[in-house]
Amino acid sequence: MPTHIFSYREPSPSRPGTDGALSGMKVALQPNMSVRGWPAEAGSKALERYVALEDATVVERLKHAGAVLVGNTRMSELGFGLAGDTTSRALSEGHADCALVTDTLGEARVAAATAGLWGFKPTYGIVSRFGLIGLVPSMESYSVIAANAGVIAPVMQVIAGRDERDFSMPDLAIPEFRLDGNGGDAIRHVAVLKESLALLSPEDGKAFLPALSRLEKAGFSLREESMAEFDLFRTVHQVVGAVEASSSAGKYDGVRYGHRAASAKNWNEMYLKSRAESFGLTVKAYLFQGAYFQFENYDAFEDACRIRARLVKAMENLLARVDAVAFPTQRKGHPADKAETVSRIYEAFLLTLAANVTGLPALQIPGVAGDGAFDPGLQLVGKRLSDARLLSAGARLHR
Amino acid sequence: MQYEAVIGLEIHVELNCATKMFCDCPNRPGDEPNRNTCPICLWFPGAIAKFSGEALEKAAMACLALNCRIQERSAFDQKVYYYPDLPKGFQLSQAHRPLARDGWLDITGEDGKPKKIGIHHVHMEEDVAKLVHETEGRTPVSLVDFNRAGVPLVEIVTEPDMRSPHEAMELVRVLRTQIRYVGSSECSMESGTLRVDANISLRPKGTTRMNTKVEVKNMNSIRHLGDAIAYEIQRQTASLQSGEPIVLHTRLWDPEKKVTTAMRGKFSGPCVPDPSVPQIVVSDAWLRAMTSKLPEMPARKAERFAGQFGLGREEAVMMSAERDLSEYFEAVVGRGINPKTATHWLATQFLPALRERRQSVAESTVKPDRFAGLLAMLERDEINANAARGILSRLFETDEAPSAIVEKSGARQISDTSALEGIVEKVLAANASAVSDFRNGVSKALGFLIGQAMQASGGRANPKLIRDILTKKLGA
Repeated sequence: MPTHIFSYREPSPSRPGTDGALSGMKVALQPNMSVRGWPAEAGSKALERYVALEDATVVERLKHAGAVLVGNTRMSELGFGLAGDTTSRALSEGHADCALVTDTLGEARVAAATAGLWGFKPTYGIVSRFGLIGLVPSMESYSVIAANAGVIAPVMQVIAGRDERDFSMPDLAIPEFRLDGNGGDAIRHVAVLKESLALLSPEDGKAFLPALSRLEKAGFSLREESMAEFDLFRTVHQVVGAVEASSSAGKYDGVRYGHRAASAKNWNEMYLKSRAESFGLTVKAYLFQGAYFQFENYDAFEDACRIRARLVKAMENLLARVDAVAFPTQRKGHPADKAETVSRIYEAFLLTLAANVTGLPALQIPGVAGDGAFDPGLQLVGKRLSDARLLSAGARLHR
Repeated sequence: MQYEAVIGLEIHVELNCATKMFCDCPNRPGDEPNRNTCPICLWFPGAIAKFSGEALEKAAMACLALNCRIQERSAFDQKVYYYPDLPKGFQLSQAHRPLARDGWLDITGEDGKPKKIGIHHVHMEEDVAKLVHETEGRTPVSLVDFNRAGVPLVEIVTEPDMRSPHEAMELVRVLRTQIRYVGSSECSMESGTLRVDANISLRPKGTTRMNTKVEVKNMNSIRHLGDAIAYEIQRQTASLQSGEPIVLHTRLWDPEKKVTTAMRGKFSGPCVPDPSVPQIVVSDAWLRAMTSKLPEMPARKAERFAGQFGLGREEAVMMSAERDLSEYFEAVVGRGINPKTATHWLATQFLPALRERRQSVAESTVKPDRFAGLLAMLERDEINANAARGILSRLFETDEAPSAIVEKSGARQISDTSALEGIVEKVLAANASAVSDFRNGVSKALGFLIGQAMQASGGRANPKLIRDILTKKLGA
């Protein structure tokens, strides 16, 4: 039964045993995460009345660990941006202890920042995407938001790890998610990118400063670094993301599920009408951009792929000199929940999308930045597979 | 002006894997429609392609059979187009980084000399669903059968090295033999596991420029391929001679009317790297393991058969052209049968008998030991050729040993001279006119008398002895 927060509410959440790692933890999901028998409409008319056939790997693992799946929150169409997303409210209003959010541009981190919560996007490839109805496969990741790091770590411990049903996962040694990581490899040196600070209004800049002094007080050493290519992250994300979205959404033809146009002269017209009636304006614009690069300007797409490799390398080089990079999570003048055009959405996620382009882990930490009126959040982006160390560093900051 | 044809082929081969290319569904496209489907090959939301190791191995073996270099890294792309046979909106194919490049095959040209044809590359791709167009009452309906969606294919693209229908047909024959040898596919054009499209252009003889090509599709036998190319060369020559330019397009071969007709322009979409199917990285050790699985290939086997067994070139090629037959042949020879006898009997008796029964060598219940047993009795003069042919057909119907069949049917050859002399006496007495014909120099009368004697023995007499005895008695 739908509510203003849940698109689907499980009427009788299972009463789990008491021995699982997440026994009794209430978890909210998004309607693009497959739970067998639950509607999985991904916020889109294109998936109207689609009911998941089997559990996503992540869902299977949550169930097995004793988590109580309370329902699906409301999400933006196909998880692109945060317009209409109710996940953080589900937490603030006490319906769940944590929520899984699809993070494609930074949705989990920004949703968390707006609600004063923690948001964590893991290293790309350590969580199975099997059963995730995604849009931009190479950028998106299940992410976790919760009121404290102590909830995120055990959830990550449960959902991360090899899955033979997701062949795209590299063979990685998954870190153990413990929050007492104060050993020799703990995060100490943190860089701030000049180019990212330049994107802040004076007001935002001022609001971010307390986070930096909090880092220093907690014993982190700070230094300013520069990355000339920083402004390319957005362009690369938009070009590659739009192309992948165009491919991913190509399957929504309204034939076997989803909205189907009432009448059409032939199959081609049926596709065109069904799709025209299914997608919202924002997603439509994004898909058009992707089709443009696929069909009309493939060279630009190839350039974007090459630049992406260069950006990955540049971040790697930077993270060879420091343990993490600190960014604000959001900017005051660019609210994500009100961003309903492609360019507004990109503006709203300008400070988070670098982690999606590079696949690096990123953590939004609440309550350390802010001037009382607005909390831009503190985001730490770490080395590949330094997921547990990032969470430990966040916990240290709040100790 | 004298024109020369420039022909390149694009050949799709369906691999005979147990499963589809990206899921565990059985690779049995002929089953009851939509029986072999799952969320992955129906491409339901949340599905992730799961690349089959067997498909990679079978594809790699096919590449090795075509003397290709397997690339250290290859990757899948999304070939984007929207059509009801492809509901996910793209076909997974290797457009930018194919599995293998730079192969070749030796064919025999029209002049009997060997000619090398280059293979540009080989890439893997999934097949699409099958559309079945029907009518329900007066409403036309199109049904989609997903059994074929995701079936593993390789596409082989040759260099434009062929110059005649003969060369193209030869290339397909040699390619088929090679791929069948490594066991990657049955390669049947009739049943669609081998599909050939031909690209044909013309140029003035002696020039080297590549002119605009025309693609021809829909040939379902090697003969049709040859006919279609021949027709297309003729059609293009006529166009050029009447001053019409050749435009790039695709034509369909009509096997009834024996002509090609232009088909609606096919939309060719872009190819973008697939973000979810991992890149294929081939290690040296894996490649060595694949190479070591290569059997002795037909050209080398034919050479060995000629040297080791004293077969003529044509016989050696015939006995090595199909792997199952070559192994059958060696098993028969290994049981002490003269290789020439084995070749002769396989080619003239065993293979026609199989064709008649629509069986393959592998399916046949006449295993090499029973076939060799039959030939051994023939070689020992225990039965004659005529009887042997009769026993061979009995071998197909029973499980009995050839010797048992011989005993039961009383087909054992009569080589007892005194018994044969008795038969000959009777024949001579009963055919006085033939005897006098023979004495008057009509030599074919001897053949008649031999025939009569054979008949009198119930076909069991040793024909050589009969001839000797007859000749002696007639005093010739």
